[in-house]
Amino acid sequence: MSESAGQERAQMVAIAWLRWRLFVNALRSSRGQLELVSRILVSFAFAVGGLGGAVVMGFAASLMISSGKPETLAVLFWFVSIFWQVFPIMATAFTNNPDSSDLLRFPLSYRSYFLVRLAYGAFDPVTALGSMWSLGILVGVGFARPALLPWALLVLLAFAAFNLLFMQMVFAWVERWLAQRRTRELMGILFVLVMLSFQLIAPLVAHFEKRPRPDVQRYVEILVPVQGILPPGLAADAIAQGVNSRFMTAFGSLALLGAFVLVIGYCLHLRLLAQYRGENLSEVAAASALPNGRSLHLGWNLPGFAAPVAAVFEKEIRYLLRSGPMLLTLIMPVFVLVIFRFGAMNPARRHGTFLAHMPDMAFPAAAGYTLLVLTNLAYNNFGGDAGGIQFFYASPVSFREIVLAKNLTHAGILALEIVVTWIGVSFLYGWPTFDVTIATLAGLLFAAPVNFSVGNLLSIYSPKKLDFSSFGRQRASQMTVLTSLGVQIFVLGVGVLVFWLARHYGNFWIATLILLVLAGISLSVYRAILNRIDSLAQDRRETLVAELCRA
Amino acid sequence: MDAAPTISTQGLTRRFGDLLAVDNVDLRVAPGQFFGFLGPNGAGKSTTIKMLTGLLAPTSGRIEILGLDLEKNPVEVKRQIGVVPEGMALFGRLAGSEFLNFAGRMYGLDRQTAAKRSAELLDFMQLADQPKKLVTDYSHGMQKKLAMAAAVIHGPKVLFLDEPFEGVDAIAAGTLKAMLQGMIARGATIFLTSHVLEIVERLCSHVAIIHQGRLVAQGSLEELRAGVAAQTPAGSGDGGTASGEKMTLEQIFLRTVGGSRPTDQELSWLG
Repeated sequence: MSESAGQERAQMVAIAWLRWRLFVNALRSSRGQLELVSRILVSFAFAVGGLGGAVVMGFAASLMISSGKPETLAVLFWFVSIFWQVFPIMATAFTNNPDSSDLLRFPLSYRSYFLVRLAYGAFDPVTALGSMWSLGILVGVGFARPALLPWALLVLLAFAAFNLLFMQMVFAWVERWLAQRRTRELMGILFVLVMLSFQLIAPLVAHFEKRPRPDVQRYVEILVPVQGILPPGLAADAIAQGVNSRFMTAFGSLALLGAFVLVIGYCLHLRLLAQYRGENLSEVAAASALPNGRSLHLGWNLPGFAAPVAAVFEKEIRYLLRSGPMLLTLIMPVFVLVIFRFGAMNPARRHGTFLAHMPDMAFPAAAGYTLLVLTNLAYNNFGGDAGGIQFFYASPVSFREIVLAKNLTHAGILALEIVVTWIGVSFLYGWPTFDVTIATLAGLLFAAPVNFSVGNLLSIYSPKKLDFSSFGRQRASQMTVLTSLGVQIFVLGVGVLVFWLARHYGNFWIATLILLVLAGISLSVYRAILNRIDSLAQDRRETLVAELCRA
Repeated sequence: MDAAPTISTQGLTRRFGDLLAVDNVDLRVAPGQFFGFLGPNGAGKSTTIKMLTGLLAPTSGRIEILGLDLEKNPVEVKRQIGVVPEGMALFGRLAGSEFLNFAGRMYGLDRQTAAKRSAELLDFMQLADQPKKLVTDYSHGMQKKLAMAAAVIHGPKVLFLDEPFEGVDAIAAGTLKAMLQGMIARGATIFLTSHVLEIVERLCSHVAIIHQGRLVAQGSLEELRAGVAAQTPAGSGDGGTASGEKMTLEQIFLRTVGGSRPTDQELSWLG
């Protein structure tokens, strides 16, 4: 027995060492060192957020108890819990933990495997933040009622255990769904829809603000008892009842919270046990019957362009059409217009939104945002190609043609989106005037080549492999992010300045003229870079292949 | 007899920092040869094939394919060669037929020809039964066959294959071998790397062996046998020649790269 425990301990030490070596070895590259710097900055931000949050939580908890309203602690517990669960999805998102399944080849006991998974979760920054905030609540409760400190500690430990297990359970199940491409894509779409629905919260709140108060009151009356039987509400109730010296009820709430912990733990156990036993999530389907009378599938033809350009264009469009998440990203501009429109309709915010003041600027603003969304693709041209980059290098086609085809695809999408945006603006804000429309198009003629030029260079100099079917941890490289930011500030600055000038003189043809001159310059720069792209791609072939073919 | 070589390198060298991965390699592959390029792990095989196909720049040296300098005429060379690199170079989110169509058009075929050959190749490779299936959902063996199909869709004169039989089942391997032998019969040149020496011995007429970045042997199988036999002390008994049997490629390979392990070195704790 002790030998087994000793072995488990040795395995844990080995796994900790492995994580440490992975971290240290990553620092060998300059990219890893940059990542370390960014991690230190992020950790600092987290530490500030954690400490600041803990102080706020502690102060609020103390105030709530001192003022005789301990039941309002539920607000704090819900805030911590929602953050604990939602933030990891937004920040680190749906990715397989690279170590956990690999560890299964070793003689790891199930208990060790379970503990390792929990340990991974415990070292997550969000767990650190959640724990610090919970500690803040504990200190606040202890400050207001020192005698209640041990009880609050017990409740908060159960609360933290629930959050930790729940987060791990959600991730374990999400991992399972992400193991297969189709479910992965469905999850991706679902994820974007959830993110988009968050954007609707403010307009909906604004909408409800306009409705009679009793209606809102009724919703609150329904929600309060419901939240009370859920873990954050139970944790708050356990402390609140303790404050009121109703220990039987308090104990009941804690027992229910404990039951939640057990149920969630069991769900996590089911998933991890399946992983531990080596579940098979193979996607290789059985061969289907050979379809009769197959017709030849002809590739696309792009009049005026060489066959390879048409072939790459077709490939890019097919990739995009098969990427639900990416397609959803592309509808964002129209969605944002709707949000702005709702916001503008809200009387309380009517004076705050700039589109409410300048509805004639809705189309230029939406067009600018559309271009911004597209940079996601244009700044990492080869990201989705992954190993296919080798095909490009082995094929007798110049990178000039390949990049041109990719830019054409992005320009085509931009054109389509601009049409949709124009229609959207017309419905939501009224028809954009002819002169504003032309000035906006001239602005795009300037801004798009600037973005494509920089995007082409960054695609060669700082590529990053992308999985079009999934989300999270697919951040562009730091260099791309910083350069992109600079370019957007420049382009946006020029656009705002020119449109402000035109509005000032009451003549948008001034903007058109200036932007067309700038477009001439940006197109020349674009062309010059495109002509150089082949030699740049050849010079950088090792980096590109190494980065994009990375497993 | 000494026709201009299809593939030739002079002083081909590649460094990765301090590591000399390929050291002054002079290769000659004649037209119509089925050429096996062998070497232990890390010997420089994949680095060499990447340089020969333009996927990696040499540090120094010269590469000629079909009489054309690869550095000066990369596009013209690539038009006439087919490549299955180490990573297979596939586009995962295209269906098999779409990928082949795409490959055909990238190699300059017109739409009809690309479509027709794609359909033929899918049938030949027995990949036609799931036309809508994305490449990313293919098994490893299926991906290998698809990569091979894409490499030959334009009818290349020279074919470079990096471990083409790795992960391929016996049936598919048979299909691929038949196709490759057919290409050789029609005058193409094939340059392949493989760890499966039996396959190389059965398919290849000529072999080169690279070890620690240096070319240590090159020639027909008979020339290699003769070379190794000449270096073996008479009556040593382990060369295979003494008993009158032909040396296998494995024996040639092991002797050339000095792969035999001292018999006194064993892992006594192992079962």
